[in-house]
Formats: sequence, structure tokens, C-alpha cells
Amino acid sequence: MTVSLLLVVVCAIAAAGYLLGRSRARAASGGDTRKLHSLIGYHGQSVLLFSAVPALILMGAWLILQPMLIEGRVAGQITAADIPEGGSPALVMSDVRRIAEGLDLLGLDAGEMAALGADPAQAGARLAQAGIALGSEIRPNVLAAALDYRRIADGAGLAMTVAVIAAALAGLALSLRRITADYRARNVSERFVLVLFIASSLVAVLTTFGIVASLVVESVHFFRLYPARDFFFSLTWNPQFRGGSDLGIWPLLWGTMYVSLVALLLAVPVGLMSAIYLSEYASGRMRAMVKPAIEILAGIPTIVYGLFALVTVGPFLRDWFAQPMGLGSGSSSVMTAGLVMGIMLIPFVSSLSDDIINAVPQSLRDGSFGLGATRSETVRQVILPAALPGIVGAILLAASRAIGETMIVVMGAGAAAKLDLNPFEAMTTITVKIVSQLTGDTEFASPETLVAFALGMCLFVFTLGLNVIALYVVRKYREQYE
Amino acid sequence: MKEKDGMNVMRESAADIAAASVKIAARGVQVFYGDTHAIKDVDVDIADRTVTAFIGPSGCGKSTFLRCLNRMNDTIDICRVEGRITLDGEDIYDRRVDPVQLRAKVGMVFQKPNPFPKSIYDNVAYGPRIHGLTRNRAELDEVVEQSLRRAALWNEVKDRLQAPGTGLSGGQQQRLCIARAIATSPEVLLMDEPCSALDPIATAQVEELIDELRANFSVVIVTHSMQQAARVSQNTAFFHLGNLVEYGQTAQIFTTPRDPRTESYISGRIG
Repeated sequence: MTVSLLLVVVCAIAAAGYLLGRSRARAASGGDTRKLHSLIGYHGQSVLLFSAVPALILMGAWLILQPMLIEGRVAGQITAADIPEGGSPALVMSDVRRIAEGLDLLGLDAGEMAALGADPAQAGARLAQAGIALGSEIRPNVLAAALDYRRIADGAGLAMTVAVIAAALAGLALSLRRITADYRARNVSERFVLVLFIASSLVAVLTTFGIVASLVVESVHFFRLYPARDFFFSLTWNPQFRGGSDLGIWPLLWGTMYVSLVALLLAVPVGLMSAIYLSEYASGRMRAMVKPAIEILAGIPTIVYGLFALVTVGPFLRDWFAQPMGLGSGSSSVMTAGLVMGIMLIPFVSSLSDDIINAVPQSLRDGSFGLGATRSETVRQVILPAALPGIVGAILLAASRAIGETMIVVMGAGAAAKLDLNPFEAMTTITVKIVSQLTGDTEFASPETLVAFALGMCLFVFTLGLNVIALYVVRKYREQYE
Repeated sequence: MKEKDGMNVMRESAADIAAASVKIAARGVQVFYGDTHAIKDVDVDIADRTVTAFIGPSGCGKSTFLRCLNRMNDTIDICRVEGRITLDGEDIYDRRVDPVQLRAKVGMVFQKPNPFPKSIYDNVAYGPRIHGLTRNRAELDEVVEQSLRRAALWNEVKDRLQAPGTGLSGGQQQRLCIARAIATSPEVLLMDEPCSALDPIATAQVEELIDELRANFSVVIVTHSMQQAARVSQNTAFFHLGNLVEYGQTAQIFTTPRDPRTESYISGRIG
């Protein structure tokens, strides 16, 4: 039975459970549902939850664990001779999986399958006809492993179907038996829903831990191959395909900070002032027109901003500023990427700040106007201090967007890692280098590739630090309205 | 017929009040919120160094009228004010009058305490600072202390002037707002139900304060509590459905109201 069909069956059992629970509760009440502790809907709901949720959790766990267990059993059949030179066991295992899937597609009966299993060359030809392209000819061991893989997977799939349906029915029966007039179905469903909510919030937390763990593991691999001292203190970034690279983080960190700084220097004042205009000065009609127009900026994909940087802003800055001032002759520069990124960030700052400024109570404005303050005095001395924590949050959000931005930098600032003060020089950032190192031609286990994880780790620590600073600032300057 | 009686009564009592010097004079004031006619042809003389109370049922327009006196209604887009209001004989709705300057002269205290999210000191120093009323820090310190003393708050906060104003209790916050308003040395102080968010003890303190403020300012107070109006005011105006029904000395309004509507309200039959 396929997974989606099984899903439908579980849902059907749960729906039936809902109806059965309701009718059983009604029967238990002896016709007067007011005698029940809980509404009949809650009885239905508790049966539904107990039949669906455990079965679905079992199914999810099974689907995650099954391939791992099967591969563990099949991997024993692959000998060292089966692994081609320069390949790895993982690659051979992926061949096994693809052959197994391909054999499924051929739709053979048992006899044909056995015949094909004895003849690897024939199997390869049939698979190629079915559109499964394999790199080299199929070795007998690999084919045998694939056949085993199919057999075990089929058996396991049947076992899963039986187990999941059994779990659903068991849940249904157990929860149905518990229904009496005094059964506290309302409290039970409430508790169940609470557990469900907690589990959902744990997913996000656990994912974060997973991300950090994978970054740390790969970073540790990197630091085994490449000295940490050089990574953190070397001022040169010069990866070589043949090894012997200089992988100092400083040029990239500097580029990241420089581009982000330029972007924020543009986005924060412009965004904040437009937020102040929108929330304090603009008439209702003006606001209704301007606010969506600004927010359109937020919907433009960053690659389009990148094009804008590449064909418009870059050449403009080169022709009108860099060349006349003798600061550079390339159109890729920190300034190009920074300015375009700043434009991208304006709606973040302005939209968030606008909401925050609007949340400042009108009574504070009245109080200030009532003392004879002008609008701008009120904004400067009352509204902005009151909204400061939120505004800092908005700026920090914009900053983390700037630090994580990749596309605009690739197209606007180039890919040359340099330590330079001249804003019209091409530079590059951590994110750009993560992309280029991971998608390069070098082997995955080489420091030139693994450095991407160390860079990612640094980026993570960097933004974490920013958030901690933001929390500190917000807490220190928090001023309550009420 | 009733309407006419009301007008006559009002003119008579206005004559009593004119005995004291008139600080604010309103003639034929009409206020519209969009299509709603909120204030209908109101004439009032507010005497100097006196407490004048505006009473009336909710939605009768007393707060709206109060906000006309320092042009706070200017901040509401759909609000339109007609008629003539003069402060010391000068039309406050004249084109040449800067509403910001006017509000420095006619201070306001609001229904809900609204201290700024700043320290106690900075709250009180806000007005003097934006209007440049002091030449140096020492003078500013002096103004802050005087204002807090007059608002009967000095003894409670003198050791924590740098603590946030929002950390005070409700009654203290309202007295802080009063201190903030008087620090600008206004000539008139408008109070929009200043005690409605306070407990009885804080209310008593604020009422006592209002009585003391009479020595220096003309105070106009909007209140829902008739006892409060009777306790703190010398003159009382009764508003009903946007009309000024009756205006006269407080004692007379509460003991021998001339308009039947006033009597009904005071005795609790309408409201």
C-alpha cells in the first residue's frame, strides 16, 4: 500500500472514530446529552485524536528509520572490489537504490525478475530502456544487493501498513471503550491538543539545534585539515584547487561588514524618516497610496535587485563618481552592492518602524501637543524614545538581512576577496564565498570546500552576537507606555 | 420656548461671572465632526483665577468644547470649529495665532495619566526645555522643583528624580502630569476628567491641588462627578446634547437650578 493511500485510510479511521465517539457518547447519556460531562463533540474529538495521531507518528518514524535499517543490512553484501576507484560506498549504495527503483518500474513478475537477477548485463540494458541511466556496468554483487533491497523494502512496507492500521484501530477501540457519561473528554482533548502544540514548537527548536550541530561537525572537520589560527588571523583569502590555499576569514568578514554598513547607512535614515512621515504627517489617503508602494520594494526578488546593480547602478557610479575621482575603474564595487541592498532594506525598516510608531499611544502625542510641542519635537522627544526598542529590532532585522544577502553582492560587488577601504573597489562577502566554495569543483573532503561550513558558523555566531546586543539595548532602553 | 429660557438664564448668570475679570470668552462656538454637529452655539466666559467646571452626561460635548480652548481639535482631521474664542481679548482661531504657542499658554491635563516614557525630572522639564524658558541647568532644576512642589509630589519623588515617570502609582502619575503642565507656566489649565482613573485618596489629593492652583491659574475642569464639581469649582456650566444649558455660580447651579434639564441631571433623572 502506498504512503498516500495509507494516509487516507488512517484519516478515514479517524473520521469514523469521530462519528462513533459521538454516537457512543450519545448512547451513554441515555438520550439526554446534558448528563454528559463533556459535549459529544469532545468525545468524538478525543477518539479522533487517539486514533489518528499515534498512527501518524508511528508512520512518520517508520518512514524515517526504514531506509537506514535496510541500507545497514544490504551494505554488508557490497565488497571492497565493488567500489570503483575514486568512488565511495555512499555512491555505490545510491546505485543500489536506483537499480531497486528501476526494477520496480519495469513491472516484472517473479520469474522474469529472477532471470534478470542472474544476468547483470541484461538487467543494465533493460534498465537503460526504462530510462534509468547508470554510470558503469552493473556488478553482480550490486545487482544482488538491489534485489535484496527490493525484497526487504516490500516486506517492510507491508509491515508498516499493518502496524499503522493496527495502531489506528487500537487507538480507536481503546478511546471508544473509555467513553462513559462521566468521562472527561473535554479535559482529555484539551491536554492532547496542548501536547500537540508543545511538540510543534519543539520542531523549530530542534531544527535550530540540528543546524548548529551540522555546522559544528563540518567545521570541526575543517579545522582538522586547516589550522584555526590561519583561518581566524590570516589576512589573505586565496583558495587553490591543488591545495596550499590561504583561507583567512578577514577579507570576507570585512567585505560583509563594509557592504552591510553602506546598506544600513542608506536604509536606516531613509526608512525611518519615511516611517515617521507615514505615521505622523501623512493624511489617510496619502498613507493608503504610499505605504503599499514602498512595500512593493520588499516583494522584488533579490536577483532583480542584482540586475539593477549590475546594469544601472554599477556603471552609473563608475562613470560619475569612481572614474572622475580616480578611485577605480570597475563597475563592481562595495558602493554598488551597498546602495542597492540599502534600497532593498528600506521597506523593512520603514514598514516595521511605521507599525511600531503607530503603536505608541495617542495619549503621549496629546500630552506633548498639550504642552505646546510641535510635531517634530513630539516625534524626536516622545515618539522615537518610546518606540526605540522596536526600532532597534527593525534595524537589527534589516542588518541580518544585509549580512545574509548573497545575490546582490555577487552581481554588484564582484567576487574578489580584498581588504580595502576604498568603497569603489570590488570586494566580496562571506555568503558569496560559501556559495562559490561549495559549488566548486574541489573534492568535498578538502579544506577548500569544508571552509564553507566554518564560514557559515562564523556568520551564525556573528548574527547571534548582533541579536544579543540588540536584546541588551532593548532591555536597557525599554520604556513602558502605560 | 425652553431653549429661549435657557439663553436668558445664561445671560443673567454670565452677568454674575463678568464681575471677575474674563480670561477666555467664547461666542457662538459650533463644532462639527464630519457631519455630526457636536457643539451648538455655545457662549461662555471663563473667569481668571477661578475654577470652572463643565458637567453633563457622556457625549454631551463638554470635552470637545474643552479641547477647542487650546485648539487640540486641530489634530483631528475631520473636526471643524466655527465661532469666536478669545484669550485675553485675542482670537485664538485667528490665522496669525500659532497653535503651538497657544498651547504653551493654555496647558492641558488628560483623563488618563500620560507621563512620557522618561525620567520624572525629564517629564517636568519637557515644557521648559522645548520653550526655552530657562537659561541654565540651575534654573531648570528650580522650575522642576517648584512645579513638583505645587503639584504636591515633591516630597514623594525628590530622592528619585531620575526614576522613570511611568513607574509611579496612578495618582502620582496624574500629579506628575499636572506638574508637567504647570512647569510651562500656562495662564489657563484645562483638565479633562483628571480624576476618573484615580482612587478616592488620589482624587482627594488632586482636588486639593486644583483648589491651590486657583491662586495662579484659571482652571477649567471637565468632570463626571457632580460632587467633585461642587467641591472644587466656583462656576459650573451644564452641557446637554451639545448645548450649553445653564452656566452660573456653582452654589446656585446645585441648589437652585433655573433650567429643568439641569435639575433633572443634578437630581439623577437624566444622564
